[in-house]
Amino acid sequence: MLIVVGLLLIATGGVLPLFFWPRLVAAKVPAVFGIGAGSLLGLWGAIVALSAPQAATWACDWLGALRLSFRVDILSAFFLLCIFAVSFLAALYSYHYLDDPSKTTRSVFSYLLLAVLIISMALVVCADNLISLALAWELMSISSGFLVFYDYEQLENRRAGYIYFIFTQAGALFLFTAFGVLFAQTGTFDLTGAENLSAGVKLAIFLLALVGFGSKAGVVPLHTWLPQAHPAAPSHVSALMSGIMIKMGIYGILRFYLVLAPETPAFGRIILVLGVITGIVGVAQALAQNNLKKLLAYSSIENVGIILIGLGLGMLGTASGRPTLAFWSFAGALLHLLNHALFKSLLFFGAGSVMHGSHTLEMDRLGGLMKRMRFTGLAFLIGSLAICGLPPFNGFVSELLIYVSAFRGSTLEGGDFLFAVMAVVSLAVIGGLAVACFTKVIGIVFLGEPRSIAAGEVHESKLSMKLAMMIPALACIIIGLAPMFLIRPISATTLQLLGRAAFPGADLRPVYINISFGAAVFLGIIVLILGLRTLLYRGKDIVQAPTWGCGFTRPTARIQYTGASYASPLVGFFRAIVPVRESFDGLKGLFPGLVNYQSLSEDRAEQLSVEAVAQPLVRLMKRLRWIQHGNIQLYIAYIVVAIIAAAMLISYPVFLP
Amino acid sequence: MTTSLPLFLGSLLLLPLLAGLIPKVKAFLTGKKGPPLLIKYYTLIKLLAKGSVYSTSTTFVFRAAPVVVPAVYLTALLFLPLAGMPPVLSFSGDIILIFYLFALGRFFTICAALDTASPFEGMGTSREAFFSVLSEATVFMVLFLFCRLSSSLELAGFFTGSKAINLSRPEAGLLLLVVVAMFIVLLTENARVPVDDPATHLELTMIHEVMILDHSGPDLALLELGAWCKLYFYAVFVANILLPGQVSPAGLRIMAFLGSLLLIYAVIGVVESVTARYKMPMVPKFILTSFAFAFFAAILTLEWAR
Repeated sequence: MLIVVGLLLIATGGVLPLFFWPRLVAAKVPAVFGIGAGSLLGLWGAIVALSAPQAATWACDWLGALRLSFRVDILSAFFLLCIFAVSFLAALYSYHYLDDPSKTTRSVFSYLLLAVLIISMALVVCADNLISLALAWELMSISSGFLVFYDYEQLENRRAGYIYFIFTQAGALFLFTAFGVLFAQTGTFDLTGAENLSAGVKLAIFLLALVGFGSKAGVVPLHTWLPQAHPAAPSHVSALMSGIMIKMGIYGILRFYLVLAPETPAFGRIILVLGVITGIVGVAQALAQNNLKKLLAYSSIENVGIILIGLGLGMLGTASGRPTLAFWSFAGALLHLLNHALFKSLLFFGAGSVMHGSHTLEMDRLGGLMKRMRFTGLAFLIGSLAICGLPPFNGFVSELLIYVSAFRGSTLEGGDFLFAVMAVVSLAVIGGLAVACFTKVIGIVFLGEPRSIAAGEVHESKLSMKLAMMIPALACIIIGLAPMFLIRPISATTLQLLGRAAFPGADLRPVYINISFGAAVFLGIIVLILGLRTLLYRGKDIVQAPTWGCGFTRPTARIQYTGASYASPLVGFFRAIVPVRESFDGLKGLFPGLVNYQSLSEDRAEQLSVEAVAQPLVRLMKRLRWIQHGNIQLYIAYIVVAIIAAAMLISYPVFLP
Repeated sequence: MTTSLPLFLGSLLLLPLLAGLIPKVKAFLTGKKGPPLLIKYYTLIKLLAKGSVYSTSTTFVFRAAPVVVPAVYLTALLFLPLAGMPPVLSFSGDIILIFYLFALGRFFTICAALDTASPFEGMGTSREAFFSVLSEATVFMVLFLFCRLSSSLELAGFFTGSKAINLSRPEAGLLLLVVVAMFIVLLTENARVPVDDPATHLELTMIHEVMILDHSGPDLALLELGAWCKLYFYAVFVANILLPGQVSPAGLRIMAFLGSLLLIYAVIGVVESVTARYKMPMVPKFILTSFAFAFFAAILTLEWAR
């Protein structure tokens, strides 16, 4: 009930600004208030639903033909919690972020699209039959797609939007095929009755759905839309898309996993291997990026990889009759999903703040922002530490759970042992690369000296943006220090995934107590050393001087290491997945003058999808161009002929093979 | 708990002595007199008495590193069993906490170095980030193997109790592979020859030393303390594997432990005397060799390999 009221409020918040056009501030107030308050109500509702003994359901017939049915069970409630938390922050952030009076019209419309996006995501996780799921899914894709077009003047943003539409529609094609096969096999649009299908059919449905859901989640190699769409969208929309919308793909995978109830370990293995590939490719690509938001987008792909590793381990554990192992990894994956929603929205808000302050996202043009944007810098530092999974922040808690589960897999034999090895080693490598990646962001963007005039004249963001960064930053710290209060929601959701009641091994409390204990010990020692340091510096001379230039006395900001040079050894190591195109005209003579050097990192998956899929398809379609002649009457004739042909086929099945 | 706390505190007092041992071994092998054995104590006292110079480019991150780094390694030492005794603190899963704390220390070292806007320090950070990714893979491979052998997730379970991992176990052969792998990690993580040369004074060739170039006074002393703790952590990790089983009287066990610990520090000195620093492109291959050893050791424990 609270959720429905919340959604209605969000809808009001989306529609009201239209009446206040063209006064930007007057339009923003009801929008932010409506969406924000609606999200808070929904958040409350989700928390209530998490501990509700029974799932709430609602159904109606629409247009006499389509039956819409919605159901809020614990899994839905968990995802609703993530959705409403981020949508609240996004609405709050947008108040001071969308302050360009020359973009009033599109800002007003963007609130409508934002409200539709939030509502449709909530409907996706509540959908209880294939029709409602398909409708909500499409609504979500379309509304987010138009939000990507926000800055449509730039060619690359238009391109990003089109690519996103292509991916989302191609993904939906596979998804609806999966829905069709499921309907043909079970004879109902409801999400029931699929448990008894044969293993082969289940796998086929799962793989088809995986393409659809995976392309939304950014699973490699279907991720290439993501690093283009996220930088193009306004930052609060990027936060919503990266923090939540791509998780709808994860939700879909989980829901289909529950619906199909597979017994074979094949599902878990597929998800685990995909997770490993996605994680490593994502973080290696992130490291090579120069655009801050593009880097964050690739890092989202990496985190989807970590979540999939957890889910894959969980599915493997369930299939091999090790419920404790499965419990830990599912719990870790779910918590990481929530954590990622928090720190990724924080980081995108931070990136938007940088964009606002300096009007560029090119990392090699920034530097030294910490001095003039202390708040944003500190928030970004907290977000970076959290996303690297470092203690005592929240990312560590979820990664620890997945690690514990993977380490428990060390007693397995044969092939499963290798899968557990793969999980542990790839998590370690991903963790190391994430540290490299985010030290690059902090070190190049926020520390050192400004690399351009704009970077030296940045200004701090305004109140609503600061608040939107402060809340998730605090949440990252609180979950990292005392995750106790999350035991019930995570356990309940995990047990639903396992399909069983609470059992003795399924207790998160001891681990959470250990995490808090470890954090307390570490912080205690920090305080001790801080005290010691203060004592050591009492009455001492503190001198300010330029950095020691190793004998070089006239340094400029341009001699600093750049992001590209910092990442270059690691990117070179991963050149098989991150090809870098360089152009350098070389040094000439004894006293070389100006030289030109360029490097550009590329995405192997993108190259492959262009060469192997898009170009052959375009060549084929060129031969069929004569069908497209612009003559409307003939188009209508096509439709009529196609319908008659389909009807004939159905009425006279002899034509069917 | 009762016996391990004195051992922990004793170790802290001995850290500078152990670190001073390596240059002494080096000097001995090259026929020089070398610095006095207590040189690191003198350095520590000298640094603690000084004030500091801070670069105008730096922010609070630069000052945070000397606090975070020693805290990280001191916390780790609290969880590490010394001489087969139970450590001061322990809980299931502490290995993950410890190695992620190391990553936290690295995060701050790198950021503090980049904070100075010095191109030399940037060069060091770039190498540090690269090599530690590779050595982290080895470390987690070894942890995975140890978890399989001792069915526990804490350092206390690895090195104490009935399933302690040391050369008295039937898997002693493959543990030697792990010893080599972890020794390579030790050399890498502590910036020793052949990965880095702590004695060099050419900034272009350094990794760890160049990253702390701008720190001075007590801040530098705290960073040095962290570095000694880190070296000690890895040395004890290897020394614990080298122990010949649970020798019964505690006194004898501590002697055996000290013996293998001194051996490791001496071997580091010997390696530094007989090899030169590798060219940078060689280093990743060197570190990945350690991963191959660790992975091979893990595969050998599988049933079908017996």
